[in-house]
Amino acid sequence: MNSSSAQAPFKVSRKSFGALLAGLLLGTASALAPTAIAQEIPKSGAPEIVKDSSKLPHIVLMSMGGTIASRASDRLNITNYGGKGVPRVDPGDWVHDLPELANIARVTTEDFRAPPDRTAGSETFGDLELVAKRLNELAQDPSVDGVVVTHGTNIMPEVAYYMDLVVKTHKPVVFVGSQRPWTGLSGDGPLNLYNAVRVAASKDAWDKGVLQCMNQYINTARDVMKTSAYRMQTFKGVDVGAIGFADPDRVVFYREPTRRHTFNSEFAGFDYQSVPGVEVAYAYQEAPGYLIDAMVEHGVKGVVIDGTGAGSATTSQTEAIKRAQTKGVIFVMTSRTRSGRVQFTPRRREANIVSGDNLQPEKARLLLALALTKTTNFDDIQRVFDEY
Amino acid sequence: MKRLRWLRLLQITACALAISLNASAADLPKVRLFTTGGTIQSRALSRDKMMEYNDGPKVTPDELIADLPELKTIADLSTLEISNVGSGNIDSEKLLALAKGINEWLAKPEAAGAVVTHGTATLEETAYFLNLVVKSDKPVVVVGAMHPFSAISRDGPFNLYNGVRVAASKDARGKGVMVLLNDEIDAARDVTKNNTYRVDTFVSRDLGPIGFADSDRIVFYRNSLKRHTDKSEFDVSTLTALPKVDIVYGYQEADRAPIDALVAAGAKGIVLDDSAMSFAAAVKDNQAKGAVFVQSDRKGSGRVVLSEKSAERGVVTADNLNAQKSRVLLRLALTKTSDPKEIQRMFNEY
Repeated sequence: MNSSSAQAPFKVSRKSFGALLAGLLLGTASALAPTAIAQEIPKSGAPEIVKDSSKLPHIVLMSMGGTIASRASDRLNITNYGGKGVPRVDPGDWVHDLPELANIARVTTEDFRAPPDRTAGSETFGDLELVAKRLNELAQDPSVDGVVVTHGTNIMPEVAYYMDLVVKTHKPVVFVGSQRPWTGLSGDGPLNLYNAVRVAASKDAWDKGVLQCMNQYINTARDVMKTSAYRMQTFKGVDVGAIGFADPDRVVFYREPTRRHTFNSEFAGFDYQSVPGVEVAYAYQEAPGYLIDAMVEHGVKGVVIDGTGAGSATTSQTEAIKRAQTKGVIFVMTSRTRSGRVQFTPRRREANIVSGDNLQPEKARLLLALALTKTTNFDDIQRVFDEY
Repeated sequence: MKRLRWLRLLQITACALAISLNASAADLPKVRLFTTGGTIQSRALSRDKMMEYNDGPKVTPDELIADLPELKTIADLSTLEISNVGSGNIDSEKLLALAKGINEWLAKPEAAGAVVTHGTATLEETAYFLNLVVKSDKPVVVVGAMHPFSAISRDGPFNLYNGVRVAASKDARGKGVMVLLNDEIDAARDVTKNNTYRVDTFVSRDLGPIGFADSDRIVFYRNSLKRHTDKSEFDVSTLTALPKVDIVYGYQEADRAPIDALVAAGAKGIVLDDSAMSFAAAVKDNQAKGAVFVQSDRKGSGRVVLSEKSAERGVVTADNLNAQKSRVLLRLALTKTSDPKEIQRMFNEY
């Protein structure tokens, strides 16, 4: 297994896996974690590995961490895993635990996890940009056929969508994660990872934008949403469904997205050191406008209102919107119903509020931030929301 | 004063513009409405009757159009009546007449698209049949209704209005035959009727809709990657009949008798919707008599995967087509070949 890549300014996993293995041999592992192996990989039944892997596609397996990269001390622990003193799953561990990957691809690994001492959920724009930059490099690298990126499931859809907008690639980029830790009973991680590599290695997965594959469903980054906190079948394309499946016989595609993405995105291929600040304001009965005022005082350039129903704000919010618009802040309306489009109605046009189509507010936020790097023209931003 | 004059001038211009809009039907996209009947063309004697509504006179194509003068602003509409029956009475003869009528219409350079009214019960079968035999990339939209023409809150008129909008839309070209009810645009291949009486009955369980007919615009999110319409190899122009293909349902202890009886009655192909112990021997015996078998699955979602075992047995796997759509494809496949390998290719591609 060729586990390191030539460009390696990033920590490559083989070494850290070795360190863990050494730890195990020295008998210190029990202090770290009594159950440090993947539960849902049976001991017997490993397939014969083909000798000549030179003809197999080269897939880069990039770790941004997540539940799939987490361990627990006990295999019934599927909610309170990881944390201080519990070793994480290094990228090389996945490759070690799943030798069958060698039958479908030449997998090399790259590690883009946040440092272990950083609190969970603190991923920054800088972290995203580092990955985006690397994905853009890999897209240009003729020795690479596809990329799999692991990520925590909570914000995976918006991270994947950001890459869908900024990575100029024809090659497959497939996001994957798991609902249960690598060590969990009936853990979904191993099969999800195996299938994500299959999808990334598939010729049919080219030109479809950034994909997300878990539980055999192949979804588009733009349309996928996490719909359940703990159940395995959590990722769904709420409005428009999956575009294909990683089935036992083959990886199969039925649809392609018609919205602009990756190679066809006007935002792709650039380095963004930063993007204009955009925040989300939720709408509900008596939602106050002062939260929007506070955002504006804080210097945001755009606000996404996650409106009620077809896309409505409260009177107080509407007044705050008008105040903010005089300072040049751009507003986009999404709908908290999470299905169906916010339509571009004459009234919305008159109020100078961009309709967010059927994007979730966290995705509309990223699209608006990117749009604002180019323009503050209302019609141009509405065009962007109609096309992406 | 000067301001008033300006306003008056503006009024006159606006009026002239409105008249010219009305008069410009010739410039609007030309859409033909093919009517076959169904709930959308049914009347009950009372407006609260939502079932068994066949006690009033059927709605004619002219009545459908007269009911919706708004159509005049979006399309130059003509009509062709194929039938006025419930979808249970749509047969090969009507299917072929419909397909040939649509092909003849869409071959005209001035034709923009076609809309078909249909009963909802077998609507998905007709839509998929058209998806395989229409020789054009122009939009064909099949519409229906869950509530009759006479009912309170009937859904038919808006479905028809939206159907015409989609058929007149340039963005709808190349999408294959579409089904439109309840604002959702579904691909004929993937859509199925999912509920007996409610208006959100049509769903594409595996893949979801491909777009929406919203008030501000017609919007698409997906292209189908399966072969259809102008990329299809099937041709009905010279056909006067279709091969007999039937469906046998699988369940615990299912008997092989229906399979034997259907082949004896002249079935050239059989779709097995799920399997049963007794089917294996029946398949073998009837393959010897020339019958072709397709394996679909009654669960209604997910694929029947390709397997070497099935291939060895000469049984074609239906991918994620349901039994009634597998039947449509098998009938057309049998107009070309009876080789299971070749038919498997077709099931992989369509």
